[in-house]
Amino acid sequence: MTPASETLTPQTLVPRELDVRPILRSGGEPFRAIMEAVNGLKPGQAFRLFAPFRPQPLFKVMEGRGFAHEAQEIEGGDWEVLFTPRQTGAPVEASADADDLSVWSDPVEHLDLTELDPPEPMVRILAAAERLRPGDVLFALLSREPIFLFPELAKRGHQWAGNFDETRTTFRMFVRVGTPKA
Amino acid sequence: MPGATLSPWTMSYFSAACLFLVIGQGMMAAGYGYPAADVHAPVTLAVVHILAIGWLGLLMVGALLQFVPVLVAAPLRGRRLALPALGFLILGLLLLVGGFAALAGVEGMSPGLLPFGGLLLVTGFGLVTIMIAATLFAARPLPLPARFIAVGLGALVATILVGAIFTLVLSGAVTHDAAIALVLDAVPLHAALGLAGWLSFTAIGVSYRLLPMFMLAPDEPRATSRAVWWTGAAALALVIACVTAIALGGAAVKWALALAALFAVFAVVLYSTDLVLLFRARRRKSVELNIRASYAAFAALFFAAVLFALPTTRSAAGEGAAAIVYLFVFGWLTGLGLAQLYKIVPFLTWLEYYGPVLGRAAVPRVQDLVEEKRAGVWLCLYYGAVAAATLSLFTDSPAVFRIALVAQFGATVGLIVELVRARALSMVAPPMRYPAGAPSSISFFRSLDHRSNQ
Repeated sequence: MTPASETLTPQTLVPRELDVRPILRSGGEPFRAIMEAVNGLKPGQAFRLFAPFRPQPLFKVMEGRGFAHEAQEIEGGDWEVLFTPRQTGAPVEASADADDLSVWSDPVEHLDLTELDPPEPMVRILAAAERLRPGDVLFALLSREPIFLFPELAKRGHQWAGNFDETRTTFRMFVRVGTPKA
Repeated sequence: MPGATLSPWTMSYFSAACLFLVIGQGMMAAGYGYPAADVHAPVTLAVVHILAIGWLGLLMVGALLQFVPVLVAAPLRGRRLALPALGFLILGLLLLVGGFAALAGVEGMSPGLLPFGGLLLVTGFGLVTIMIAATLFAARPLPLPARFIAVGLGALVATILVGAIFTLVLSGAVTHDAAIALVLDAVPLHAALGLAGWLSFTAIGVSYRLLPMFMLAPDEPRATSRAVWWTGAAALALVIACVTAIALGGAAVKWALALAALFAVFAVVLYSTDLVLLFRARRRKSVELNIRASYAAFAALFFAAVLFALPTTRSAAGEGAAAIVYLFVFGWLTGLGLAQLYKIVPFLTWLEYYGPVLGRAAVPRVQDLVEEKRAGVWLCLYYGAVAAATLSLFTDSPAVFRIALVAQFGATVGLIVELVRARALSMVAPPMRYPAGAPSSISFFRSLDHRSNQ
């Protein structure tokens, strides 16, 4: 079996797109929408932004989160910026059956489990997965890689993908609830 | 796929290890071995090997089979070898002890058992080395804790090969000069390679991963941790070079051994600072009993190193620095082993039994499987007895030593009873003990991974 972590490269992920021009036109503040979109990125996924100006301050913010940027002016004086995660981050690991992350829906539940003692994060994630419907995705932050959780998720038919952030202090993972097996 | 499953035979290794710990300490409490007999007397050697191979060796192997995959986030290679290896190790140890008994004059035993025991031990530890080394090799580049284990395995191989040569000489099968020279000069080096190289270095490596996990402390490797690895590995390389020099007909170079000792003490001091820093950086304010008991073991390691480094205390420690070795084996290695078992056994039991129903039924927490207060009393008694026994060896008071040994034996048995109760789920409140969907039974000798699809 080929490890899924080798086949699951960022190239297989379609960049997520966000157009903030309508928000700005209606007098809104786009930063919140941008950050929500960025927080919802799959591991390794790129982010494409459309804005009516060159979003210089955002470059610094995204730089801090480990994203390189490529900005180009498009017609009408608007700008298109592609933020790509740097390859320096930990490689993405995933369950064997996690095929195309880009078709996964946005997470319906966010869990911050970084302050919990093991094995409590495992209990919380499995309990949340029981609550959700098949196809739902949950996002969790942990302080370490939940090594013992992975086989249990696989056994229950759930898919997962995750990796460490750039500082290697937080493990981020998506779990996509499967149809019950056992 | 990444992830670690339950190692099915780890619990078997632990059960056997605890049995040998009870036997070994029981024999000591009954007056067998040093100080009633000589340090090099066959009866002392029998007790030492029951404890070093039967207790500490099996304990370490069982723990590695479970935790090396966790350390490198990759599955264990050759997992089918785990059970045969256990069989070889137990049988080999029994033959070895039988051979020592023959040397001690026990009728019906023959010194000819020694090389057979040696052969089986080489086979058993060889299989273990293959499993762990293949797992590590496939997971390169290795994180720092795993690099400690790699060096520990090297020390294990050296220890076992030297030990096997000893069995050939002691049984009279081999009369080669170089082999005899090894028996005459390399016994302390054999002990150092086994206790400090294989057991301690490996334990230090695993602790660098487990302590941050249990205390919620950052586990990024520090410069000091890397320095512990380098100085410790250098010390072991020097010892192995000296053993080789003796085997080639020369003699151990005095300065090389002194340098190795200096490196080893330095490594312990660095490791101790790491431990203090880790403890201070923990996010979990109140730590569990297993951590508190582990820190008692770390203190024993530190004191053993200091007592060894000072010429006056080293010469006062008796034949072969026995008092310091005692503190090292029982305060540091055995203390740490018991403390970690007190965490690992409930955790693995919890995972095996409640893992399949997590999120689907109300389950107890891991800490509900144990009763820390009672175990805390046993651990206090244990460490108190070890301290008293060590002191009595320094002051040459055999009567106090025997009393301390009996107390230590009692505390050990008390702790093992606590482990059995945790494994039997007997401390879990009845409504939660057997949730629907959980496995129907639990074995003391084998873990069934109900979670794997294999």
